[in-house]
Amino acid sequence: MKNNLTNNKMLTIALLFIFKANGLTADNLNGLQVVQKAYNKPEPKTQQAVLKMTLVSSSGGKRERILKQFVSNNGKTEKKIMFFEKPSDVRDTSFMNFSYDNGKPDDQWIYLPALKRVKRISNDSKGDYFMGSDFTYDDLGDRNPNDDNHQILKEEILKNENCYVVVSTPKDKNYMYSKTVTWIIKDKWLVMKKVFYDTDGNLLKTLTMTGHEKINGYWIRTGSEMINEQTKHETIMKLSNIKVNVSIPDSYFSERRMKRGIK
Amino acid sequence: MRFENLLKKMLAYPKIILAGILLVTVFFFISLKKNGRMETDLDKYMPQHHPAFVYSNEAEKWFDIKDSIIIAVENKDGIYNSQTLSKLKELTKALEAMKEIRKDDVTSLYTAENIIGSEDGLDVKAFYSKIPQSAQEIESIRNNVRANDMVYDRLVSKDETVSVIIARIDDDMFSQDFYKNLTSFVKKFEGPEKLYVAGRPIVEGSMAYLGPKDMKKMVPIVLLVIVAVLLFVLRNFKSTILTILVVFFSVIWAFGLMAALKIPAYAVSTMMPVMLIAIGVADGIHLFSHLHLFMTHNTKTEKEDAVYNMVKEMWRPVVVTSVTTAVGFISLLTSEVYPVKYFGLFTAFGVMAAMLLSLLLIPAGILVFGLPKLKKKNLAKERKEEIKESGFHESASKFILKQKPTVLIVTLLIMLISSYGMTKIWINSSFLDKFERDSDIVLTDKFINEHFGGTSTLNVVLEGKEEGIVKNPEVLSRILKMQTDLEDNLTEVGQSFSVADYIRRMNKVMNSDKAEFDKIPDSRELAAQYLLMYEMSGDPGNLWRVVTEDFKKANITFQLKSDNSKALHAAIDKVEKYRDFFNSKGITMNYAGSGYKGLVFNDLILEGQIKSVIISLFLVIGLLSLMFKKFSIGLIGSVPIIITTVISFGLMGLFNVPLSTTSALLASIAIGIGIDYAVHFIERYKIYASETGSIEKTVKLTMLHSGRAILFNAFVVIMGFLVLTFSVFPPNRILGTLVSLGMFTSLIGTLTVMFIMLHHLRIYFKKMK
Repeated sequence: MKNNLTNNKMLTIALLFIFKANGLTADNLNGLQVVQKAYNKPEPKTQQAVLKMTLVSSSGGKRERILKQFVSNNGKTEKKIMFFEKPSDVRDTSFMNFSYDNGKPDDQWIYLPALKRVKRISNDSKGDYFMGSDFTYDDLGDRNPNDDNHQILKEEILKNENCYVVVSTPKDKNYMYSKTVTWIIKDKWLVMKKVFYDTDGNLLKTLTMTGHEKINGYWIRTGSEMINEQTKHETIMKLSNIKVNVSIPDSYFSERRMKRGIK
Repeated sequence: MRFENLLKKMLAYPKIILAGILLVTVFFFISLKKNGRMETDLDKYMPQHHPAFVYSNEAEKWFDIKDSIIIAVENKDGIYNSQTLSKLKELTKALEAMKEIRKDDVTSLYTAENIIGSEDGLDVKAFYSKIPQSAQEIESIRNNVRANDMVYDRLVSKDETVSVIIARIDDDMFSQDFYKNLTSFVKKFEGPEKLYVAGRPIVEGSMAYLGPKDMKKMVPIVLLVIVAVLLFVLRNFKSTILTILVVFFSVIWAFGLMAALKIPAYAVSTMMPVMLIAIGVADGIHLFSHLHLFMTHNTKTEKEDAVYNMVKEMWRPVVVTSVTTAVGFISLLTSEVYPVKYFGLFTAFGVMAAMLLSLLLIPAGILVFGLPKLKKKNLAKERKEEIKESGFHESASKFILKQKPTVLIVTLLIMLISSYGMTKIWINSSFLDKFERDSDIVLTDKFINEHFGGTSTLNVVLEGKEEGIVKNPEVLSRILKMQTDLEDNLTEVGQSFSVADYIRRMNKVMNSDKAEFDKIPDSRELAAQYLLMYEMSGDPGNLWRVVTEDFKKANITFQLKSDNSKALHAAIDKVEKYRDFFNSKGITMNYAGSGYKGLVFNDLILEGQIKSVIISLFLVIGLLSLMFKKFSIGLIGSVPIIITTVISFGLMGLFNVPLSTTSALLASIAIGIGIDYAVHFIERYKIYASETGSIEKTVKLTMLHSGRAILFNAFVVIMGFLVLTFSVFPPNRILGTLVSLGMFTSLIGTLTVMFIMLHHLRIYFKKMK
C-alpha cells in the first residue's frame, strides 16, 4: 500500500514534469484552451430557476434569500432578471443585469417596491461583489479568458471527476486577485473548484461546486459554495426548479417587468 | 525568644550566610536574565473574564471594531490641488501595503466611495482615482465632497485645509518599531503639507513604552540620591553599602521570582524597584541607627556584642514593620486586575526579602567586614552632639506636648479641608492626559480634534432578539435622535456614525438629493430595500461595521474629542436615557470598544484600590493590636496613615489631580510605608516605658532613639522620591510628589498626633498610675 502511494506520487511528479515541459495536456490542450472551453461551454439560450442564496457570517449568523431568476443569452449579451421572494421585507424587489461580451461594463437596474421606482445602479469603484455575497461577477463566470495568462499545473481526480488544474494570473497587475487555481472537469467543462489569492499572494477564497446536473443536454451547476478564508464569511448558492430553453421574450427584460413582478 | 535564638545561631556562620545570600541572588539574577520579559500588549492587562470585557470583545468581533491610527494631511492653502490629492493617494497606497494593516482597513478621500443620486439612478463612484489636473475636475471633487455628509467633515475638514487617512489596526499589531517606521515614512511626505499622526493605538503604545523607559532612567538616579543621603545620614560608607545591597538584592529577588514563575513584568511592575528602595532602606537605617547609638554608649564594644544587641533589640520592629507593609501590598490581591495583583504579591515578597536580608546580610556583613568605624576623635564630639540633640529632642517633644490643643486643632482643620478636597476628587482613565501638555502626541491629538469629530470613540451596541429589528423605522429614528442629541448637547462629542446614517443617506440620494429626505423613511420595507440596494451597489464591508447581517444588532460609534473619563461618562449618561425605549423593543444596550474598556479597567483598578485600602487598614490595625497585644495600640498606630491617606486624596481633589491607576496605588504604598514610623516609635516607647517607668524619660529616649531614625528614614525616602519629580513622564512625577508628601505627613503625624495620643492616654503607664 505504502509502496503504491509512492509510485503514484512518482507518477504524478513525472507527469507534472512532462506537462510543465510542454504546457500541454494529454489532449494537446494548453491552459488558455481549457479555460476557453469552460467559458464557451454550451449554454442554454434561456434558463429559469429558483435561487436560494445563504449568507453565513463568521459568527455563524445565517441570512437566506430566495429569488426567482430568468436568464437569456444570445451569445453576445446575457440578460438576467431576478425577483426577490424572501426575506419578506424586500419581497418583489427586482434586479436586472445585462452583461456584454465585448468588455463593456454591465448595466444594472434595481426596482424598490417601497419606493415604486426603478433605478439604474453603476459602480466603478469596488470589486463588484454580487448582491453582497462572496462572489464577484467575475467569479460567477463573467471573466474573459483573455484577461489572464493560463498554465496547466496538472491533471487530478477530484471527487471522482477528472480535472485539469489551471493556474491563471491576471495580465492587469492591479486586478483584485494575484492568482487563481481552477479545477475544470474534463468533458463537462464545469469548474469543480477554484482557489483565489489576494494581491499579497495570500489565500483569499475557495469556491467549491456542490452540485451539477445534466438538464436537456446541458451541464448546469446547481450548487456552489464560496468561503472567504480571511473573513470566514461564506455564501452558499443553490438552484432548483431549473428549466432550460423555455422561451422568454426579449421584452421580458424590461423596467416594466421589474415593476410588475412575476405575477 | 525563639526567632532571636535562631538568628543568633545562624549568625555564628556569617560567611556562610553571605555566601548563601549571594547564591540566591545569583540564582534570581540568572532567572531574571533568562526569563524576564516585559508585557507590552495592553490587552493582556485587562481582566479578560470580566463581563464588560467579554461583551466588548464579542462586539468587536461582530462589527470588526478596531482602533484607528489617524494621519492628517494639512495644506494651509487648501487640499484641493493635484499635489495634495496625489499625496493622499500615495499615502493611502503606502499604508495599504504595510503588513500591519489590512488593505480594506484604510479609509481616505482616495478610497471613499461617493454615492450620488440622480433622476434615473444611483452612482457609486470614487471621488478620484487618477490624479485630477484641470481646475474643473478638482472643483467637481470639492463639490462632491461638500454634498456628501459621510465624507465632508469626516475625511475632509470643513475649512478644506485638512484631510485625514484612517488606518484601522489590530491591537496586537502595534509596536514601537511600527510606530517609528510609520512616523519616518510619513515624514517623507512632508512639505508644503504638514502631516500629523495620532490615534489611540499610538497613545496606548507610547504610554506602555514611555513609562517603563522613564523608570529605567530614573531608578538609578533615585538610587544614587539615596546612596548620597544615606552616606550623609549614616556617616559611614560600610553601613551605606550594606543598606543599599539589601535593597538592591530584594529588588533582584522580587523580579527574579517573577521571572522564574514565568510572569512577565507589566507597566505597574516598573514601580516595584522604587517601592522596594523606599521601603527597604528603612530597615537598614533603623538597624544602623541603633548600632550607632549602642556604640557611642559602649565605646569598647566587641563587634559580636554590638551585632547581637542590634539584632536582639531591633528584630521585632523590623519584622513587625515588614509584615505590616507586606500585608498592605498583599491586600492588592483582591484586585481583579492581574498586573495589580502581581504587583501586590511580588512587592510583598520583595518587602519580606528585604526584611530577611536586613536581619541576615547586615549583621553578617558587620561580622565579616567589621563594625562601621566611628571616628574615635569625634566620639567625644558625638557624645556632645547627642546631648545637644537629645536636648533638642527633649525640647521638641516638650513643645509638641505643650501645643497639644493647637496640634489637634490644626490636624482636625487639615482633615476637614482634606475631606472637602476628597469630595472633589475625580477619576481619570485618559491615556492622553498622561503625556506632557506640549508633547507631540497631545498637540497632534488637539489639532485633529479641532478639525474633526474626535480621536476617541465610544461604541454603543444594540442587540435585539427579533431578526431585522434594526430595520424598524422607530428604532432607526431613535438611534438617529440619540446621535443628534449627543452631538448637539455635548461639546466633547464630535460625530457619530450608525446604520441610520446609511439609510438616511440612501433615502436622500434616491430622492434626487433633496434635503427633506435626509431622514429615516417611515416604512421598514423601504429601509430594508435601501440596505439591500446598498449591499448590491456599495461596499457592504462598511455596512457590517454598523450592523450585523441578521439586522439584530447595531453598532453606534460616537467620536469624542477627549479620552478622559469625564467625557466618556457624560456621553454614557446621555445614552442611558435611551435604554428604556430600546428595552421596550426587546433590545438590550451595551457598550464596547477600547475607550469603554479603558474606562471599565480604570474603574476596576480604583474599586480594587479602595477595597484594598480598607482591607489593609483593618489588617494593619489587627496586626498591630496583635503584635503589641493591645487594641488601643492598633488604633493609635494607624492614626498617622489614616491622616496621610486623607491628606493625599484631599490634596489631589483640591489641586485637581485626578485619580488614575498610578495615583490610586499610592494609598497602599502610603499605608505600607507610613505604618513603619508608628511601629518603630511605639516599639521604642514600649521598651523605654518598661525600662524606665518614667513617662518623661520614655518620651525623651524614644524621641532620641526612634524619632531620630524615623526622621532619617523619612529624609532619605523623601529625597529619593523627589528625584522622580524631575521625570519627563507626568505619572512618574505625580508618583514622586505623592510618595514624598505621604512620607512627610506620616512622619509629622507619627511625631505629633500619634505621640500626643500615646502620651495623653498614658499607654504603658496605666498600671503605674
